[in-house]
Amino acid sequence: MGTDAAIDVRRVTKSFGAVQAVRDLDLTVPRGGLYGFIGPNGAGKTTTLRMIMSILLPDSGELSVLGQRSALEAKDRIGYLPEERGIYRRMRVGAFLTFMARLKGTAGPAVAGRVRSLLERVDLPDVEHKRCEELSKGMLQKVQLAATLIGEPDLLILDEPFSGIDPVNMRLLRNIVLEEHRRGATIVFSTHVMVQAEEICDHIVMMHGGRKVLDESLTDIRGRHDPRTIRFEPLDPDADAGPPLAGVRGVERVTRDAGAYRIDLVDGTDPAGVMRDVTAAVAAARIELQRPTLEDVFVGIATGVKEPAA
Amino acid sequence: MTRVFYVASREFLATVATKGFVIGLLIAPALILLGVALVPRLLALREAPSIDGEIAIVDPTGEVAAGLRAHLDPAAVAGRRGELVERVLSATELPEQVRRLASGVGRGAADEVMQTALGSVPHLEVSVLPVGVDVEREKTTLIPDDDVDGRLALVIVHGNATTLARAPDPAPAGRYEAAAGRYEAAAGTYDLFVRRGLDNRIISEIRSGLRDAIIDARVRTAGLNRNLVENLTRVRPPPSVVVTAEEERSRSGAFDQVLPIAFMILLMVSVMTGGQSLLTNTVEEKSNRVVEVLLAAVSPLELMTGKILGQMAVGFVVLGVYIAMGLAALASFALFGLIDAWLIGYLLIFYVITYLIIGSMMAAVGSAVSELREAQALMTPFMLLLSAPWMFWWYVAANPDSTFSLVLSFIPPMNGFVILVRLASFSPPPAWQVWLSITVGVLEVFGALWVAAKVFRVGLLMHGKPPNLATLVRWVRMA
Repeated sequence: MGTDAAIDVRRVTKSFGAVQAVRDLDLTVPRGGLYGFIGPNGAGKTTTLRMIMSILLPDSGELSVLGQRSALEAKDRIGYLPEERGIYRRMRVGAFLTFMARLKGTAGPAVAGRVRSLLERVDLPDVEHKRCEELSKGMLQKVQLAATLIGEPDLLILDEPFSGIDPVNMRLLRNIVLEEHRRGATIVFSTHVMVQAEEICDHIVMMHGGRKVLDESLTDIRGRHDPRTIRFEPLDPDADAGPPLAGVRGVERVTRDAGAYRIDLVDGTDPAGVMRDVTAAVAAARIELQRPTLEDVFVGIATGVKEPAA
Repeated sequence: MTRVFYVASREFLATVATKGFVIGLLIAPALILLGVALVPRLLALREAPSIDGEIAIVDPTGEVAAGLRAHLDPAAVAGRRGELVERVLSATELPEQVRRLASGVGRGAADEVMQTALGSVPHLEVSVLPVGVDVEREKTTLIPDDDVDGRLALVIVHGNATTLARAPDPAPAGRYEAAAGRYEAAAGTYDLFVRRGLDNRIISEIRSGLRDAIIDARVRTAGLNRNLVENLTRVRPPPSVVVTAEEERSRSGAFDQVLPIAFMILLMVSVMTGGQSLLTNTVEEKSNRVVEVLLAAVSPLELMTGKILGQMAVGFVVLGVYIAMGLAALASFALFGLIDAWLIGYLLIFYVITYLIIGSMMAAVGSAVSELREAQALMTPFMLLLSAPWMFWWYVAANPDSTFSLVLSFIPPMNGFVILVRLASFSPPPAWQVWLSITVGVLEVFGALWVAAKVFRVGLLMHGKPPNLATLVRWVRMA
């Protein structure tokens, strides 16, 4: 197996009783990559991440993490934020982070400074001496993120990091993820909210029914899935623009959509030509070519993938 | 190994550095001290009231009433109590140092305790009723009215209470043999009627007086000298002296009885303190999902090892505190020599073995369930095994060399308890049995850790339906 990759997974399978959670998974995450694992609940994302962390052992196949044959040999260099995050509620925040730092092999006088700077970074400068049980849920989530970052990891694995977070903290978390990526860390995070992956990642791995159904860069995905939809707002909102738009060559279907029109194109049509003809047919207030979202891509793939029997 | 140390340290501190632990640790000795210091004083505050009244007696023999009157005379009652205190304090079962201390500093206290236990010396007047008196009518005088100092009891002595039956065989030669051979036994006794609510201690005093008077009359009838008979039948038990190659040492019967159970309790308390905390903490870590955070930094085996070692240290604290307290108590009574140092050494060895077995099982069960109540079903087999020493300790302490005791000495996890009881008993087992028991225990430790590690790895991330024993076995095969 190659050791240049941050994560290298070969033909890995994992079952729980009769349920096959992950099937024949091949995956390579290069060092410095920013990967998003997407897929619906039960797709096998968390199981895959747990196997990468050596928390679960695969039934078959091989894994290497940061050049080691097991994450156990590289745990000090990995930051992991599990989906089901817990905390010692009666411990003080500073003591908890110090404990986690020690488990990550960071010891000595530098730990105290690292704890303080991390708490400032997650916008919790005054909670070091508070007990965890005194904090709100949102604050606890930030403390947990700080615990993930305490060892300055080379590889950051975040399982559903945005779940249950308010928009302000979501932005803070997104910025931290991007900062860590700029620092040089490899980042893998899972989410079932595909918009988040679309905003942050440069590479998408999509899972469905335990199988990997997509493994491409976001640019390639966008390039491969041609835009076939135009959103059109007429200059006169009261005018019935439907019939003239439907008469344009290359238009397959026109649908009214809250004061605007969604225009679906016939396969193989040049969108630029249609846009020119549409604006000639009806005066436009706004016209744009809509790219397929990850959700569109996923739905397209998911409906085309027949889920194998368990 | 460093990570194991950090996990163990956190586990230890999270358990020990709590008010609950400190209070729990000190509450038992504090209650004992309070009991020793306060209970006699509290009892003394509620001293039984002095009782005055009349004891009526119908005595057709003419020999019992006088004896009863003499027995119940306040001076005689007080005299007997004084003798009892003396006898208790000079009991050979008591170690010399305790006896000396009690007879010196504690004599007044002993009298006080006796007064509390038996009540104030009663003033009872014995009145003799004529033999033909109407007994039923006399009984009605026992029904209480406002006169609290009225008649307390009515005694009807049987006519044959002091007469002796003739023996069928001819009397053998010799004065005392002749007296014993001529008579067999007296069948007669007495009836005792008392007023409602009469203190049991007064009833005992009356019974004792009647018994004494009847025996006295019978002995006289038999032509014997009672003092002589009592002197002939009394043998003061000397302390037994254990002779070993190194020394001769007096044994204390009371101490021999207390020591085995004390060691068993010490082992049980220390093992269960650590084991119970391990179970609780593991379930808590699993249910509040902190366990996956930990597994990102340590392997399941490191986590389990750290937790088990941390709680083992907790048990050592418990053991250390109680041993220190026990030794301090012994030293204060100058009884230090009654405990052998090797006994404490074996206690520590068997603590480690027993704790590691129980702790492994607790960790495994804790990792398998999501709530404490789910753990109860899985813990039942282990708790049954642990309750066995409580059922058998008395037998083992009394029969340390029996086959049953021998067999129990090699059945984990109870072997630690059984062998300790035997070691602390009057007949410690030979060294080969002790070391065989240790070997069996060590093998069991490895087995328990192996099983626990397998269950721990799988169980920690399992939620939902609580597993049964069959599921645990499947996990062991899976991991």
